[in-house]
Amino acid sequence: MNQNKVAEVKNLIRNYGPRGFQTKVLKGIDLTVYQNDFIAIMGPSGSGKTTLLNILSTIDRPSQGTVMLGEQDIAGLSNKELSRLRRDKIGFIFQDYNLLDTMTLQDNIALPLSLNGVSGGECVRKAQELASMFGLSEHLKKYPWQLSGGQKQRGAACRALITDPEIIFADEPTGALDSRSGRELLECLKRVNERGQATILMVTHDPFCASWARDVYVLSDGLIRCRISAGAQRREFYDRIIEVQTSMGGDFS
Amino acid sequence: MRMTGLAFMNFRNSFKNCLSLVASLAFTIVIFLNFQNLIYSDALIQLGEKNKRNMDTVIQVISIVLVCFMFFFIWYSTNVFLTRRKKEIGIYIFMGLTNQRIGKMYMIETALIGLSALGFGIFFGIVTTGLFQMILLSLSELAVEISFRPVFTPVLVTALAYLAIYVIFVIKGYVDIVRSSVLSMLTGARQNEYVRQSRALLFLRALAGVAVLASGFYLAVKKGGPEVLENAVGAVVLVILGVYLLFGGLLPLVFQWVAGNKRFLYRRERCLWVNNMIFRMKKNYRTWAMVCVLVLCSVTALATGFAARMRYENMEKFEKVYTFQLLSDQSDLDERARKLIEESTQIAYSSFLPITTLSESQIRTTTRYTGYALTSYSALRELAREAHLDFDLTEPGAQEYIKVSNVILFSLYTDVTAETAEIEGKVFRQTQRTQAPYLGYLQQRHITLFVLGDQEYEKMRSIGKQLYIYNYSIADPNAFVSAREALGELVAQTDDYYVGRVSVDPLSDGERNWVKVLYSLCVFMFMVFILASASIMFMKLYNDSFEERERYLIMEKMGFDAGALGRSIGKELAVAYALPLLVMGVASYFSVHALQMVMSADLGMIHLVSVLVVVTVFLVCYGLSVMVYRRNAGV
Ligand SMILES: Nc1ncnc2c1ncn2[C@@H]1O[C@H](COP(=O)(O)OP(=O)(O)O)[C@@H](O)[C@H]1O
Ligand SMILES: [Mg+2]
Repeated sequence: MNQNKVAEVKNLIRNYGPRGFQTKVLKGIDLTVYQNDFIAIMGPSGSGKTTLLNILSTIDRPSQGTVMLGEQDIAGLSNKELSRLRRDKIGFIFQDYNLLDTMTLQDNIALPLSLNGVSGGECVRKAQELASMFGLSEHLKKYPWQLSGGQKQRGAACRALITDPEIIFADEPTGALDSRSGRELLECLKRVNERGQATILMVTHDPFCASWARDVYVLSDGLIRCRISAGAQRREFYDRIIEVQTSMGGDFS
Repeated sequence: MRMTGLAFMNFRNSFKNCLSLVASLAFTIVIFLNFQNLIYSDALIQLGEKNKRNMDTVIQVISIVLVCFMFFFIWYSTNVFLTRRKKEIGIYIFMGLTNQRIGKMYMIETALIGLSALGFGIFFGIVTTGLFQMILLSLSELAVEISFRPVFTPVLVTALAYLAIYVIFVIKGYVDIVRSSVLSMLTGARQNEYVRQSRALLFLRALAGVAVLASGFYLAVKKGGPEVLENAVGAVVLVILGVYLLFGGLLPLVFQWVAGNKRFLYRRERCLWVNNMIFRMKKNYRTWAMVCVLVLCSVTALATGFAARMRYENMEKFEKVYTFQLLSDQSDLDERARKLIEESTQIAYSSFLPITTLSESQIRTTTRYTGYALTSYSALRELAREAHLDFDLTEPGAQEYIKVSNVILFSLYTDVTAETAEIEGKVFRQTQRTQAPYLGYLQQRHITLFVLGDQEYEKMRSIGKQLYIYNYSIADPNAFVSAREALGELVAQTDDYYVGRVSVDPLSDGERNWVKVLYSLCVFMFMVFILASASIMFMKLYNDSFEERERYLIMEKMGFDAGALGRSIGKELAVAYALPLLVMGVASYFSVHALQMVMSADLGMIHLVSVLVVVTVFLVCYGLSVMVYRRNAGV
């Protein structure tokens, strides 16, 4: 496949703690994300998944190594430029939804677009289109506290998608959901990805969740240990992931 | 016992959070105590018996206003506190505490807060009484000795008034907690206060608000007789009620409409701040209504003070138009009087007026005056010319008259043509009235003139006694005493010869010092109300800003820079400050208009100035709030 690179990290190292007592959380990660990828990064708790995602999404900065988003090296950018980059190129799905409780679901979904100065009519049209794709059309007028976790997370996905970002980062998107809601969300994400509308990088500790992706990278001890690619069957892919997981013997839950 | 301990611990831990509550409660106590102290301290006694009596009435009125103010202020601040605490102490439900016990805990906690506020308030109140009196009296340009000795009674009165009000709201809080469901106690703060009422109901409420406001305004500007006072009280009640209804109905309605109209809503930051406002709608509109009423009070207080002062100065000037006035049954005294005065000083100007005095049985008027006299139109015109006074009256026809009366502080007859006079059984209609000082002191204290057309006067002059008034104003005020002595030889009373005299020392002070105190008290009230309303706004936004922190963190993660969020905050706060000001602007026009009628003074300038002061204070407060809000919300 010959595609555009959306994101690329080379020899990424991240340390925490004071000088001399530092712990290496990421010990040299190389990763390239191409357009229309659906990647899951899987690893046990504390393996540095969130750290990696935060660095990729410019919320955190690397200790060493380069991070490229599109053609741009983020190392030299100011906070303001970074936040513009996030606004224009990146969509987020957080584990705890992070919808604004002051507004309805529709307003939540439309907010990023409206803040970008897009006309009201266009905002409404896109929000409704995405909502129907994620099965939320009936819930648009509700406030977050009136919605179930799954509905909230699908809403958050809509919000992430509405600005047509180059890449979507999702940190444990199903972490707070029951299995059915989780599956509904992942189905939707997969559908969007297959239609060529989104590039997704997802982080999870859950092999079931990871099995919806096209490629799974296993992260352990601060390094990417292996890459598993999906076959024709999701069931079979899931079994392979489990196999790798048990062979590595990590505590993944 | 254990619960008392828990409540006490809560109180101690959350003292920082309660600080704003304690401070605002103590603030009201300090203000109230200072005013009470004025009644019982001996500073005002030195102004003389009459001044003291007038002043006490004024202070009583102000005390009533302050009690109302205290009532609303305590209501507001305890309510803010209650909603915040409800969620925190709601956690105890998981520890197996019943609503009753949680409520009891809240009561103990708020009682501690109330008592510490009382302590602080009384302490700072006593400390500031001396200062307050000093500022007040120097502002009033009065030289009075001030004792710094605290008096016990005002402290007692203040404490009792405060505690009585406070206890009501502590109990209200308890009842509120006992009645609320477990769920609402835990999630209360997360759900919004969006006023979910049907449009029709909101519309009706807004409509009722407009109607009530309109009738309030109507009462305020309606001309009439003595019922004006009742009208004014009614107007105040109606305006307050109307403002609440209007804010409670119209604002949710408008904001609901905006939130529903997505094409309009999705314009840059608008989506953000409009939703934020809706989220706290109930709290918002209550606060705005209260601030609006307070600011209205403050503007009105200032206008009252200035009007009183202006009137006072007018009265002073009025009585000093002439230095000497002779009242006699002789028509040829002028030359002799002139000679006697000119032994000491030049005469600046003089005038003369023949009148016909009436006894009280000969004339019946709508209101009673002191001393009735008739005079003719052209005689009065001649007097005005001699004394260099304005004269723009038109000659009354048959059965008509012009009333020339004194200046009083408040006049309840705002309708000129509502009065009639019945002279010797004949009814006369009032066409005009004037308070020009044609007869100076005599007019202010002793004589009300009924000016008839020349022909009518010729017919009527025989019914009473003919008297002549000679007026003189001296050029050198220092020659007053010697001129007065010289004139003394004219004054006499025999069976067929009568000369009475009035002398007004041009350099003396009047007996109306209390008006000066009234003026400075009004200025103080103005500042108290502005301070209170500004601090209520500020306090509310300060509390809100902490709730925003989480939201702005999310927004920042999503990549919305501080600029957009800052703009959103700026707009939200601007609307919050502008709305009460806007309604106040309209309402104050009417209240000042009403004052203008009662005191017949031109208050346009003062109105403008006081509104400008309020706007300036609010602008400063707005800038401060935006800064603090951004800091607290982490933008
Ligand atoms: N700000 C930080 N300071 C110090 N240590 C951190 C910080 N953030 C994460 N860590 C450490 O880095 C490791 C990886 O964390 P994280 O990326 O959150 O793991 P996970 O894979 O569960 O998302 C953990 O051991 C955590 O303690
Ligand atoms: Mg994590």
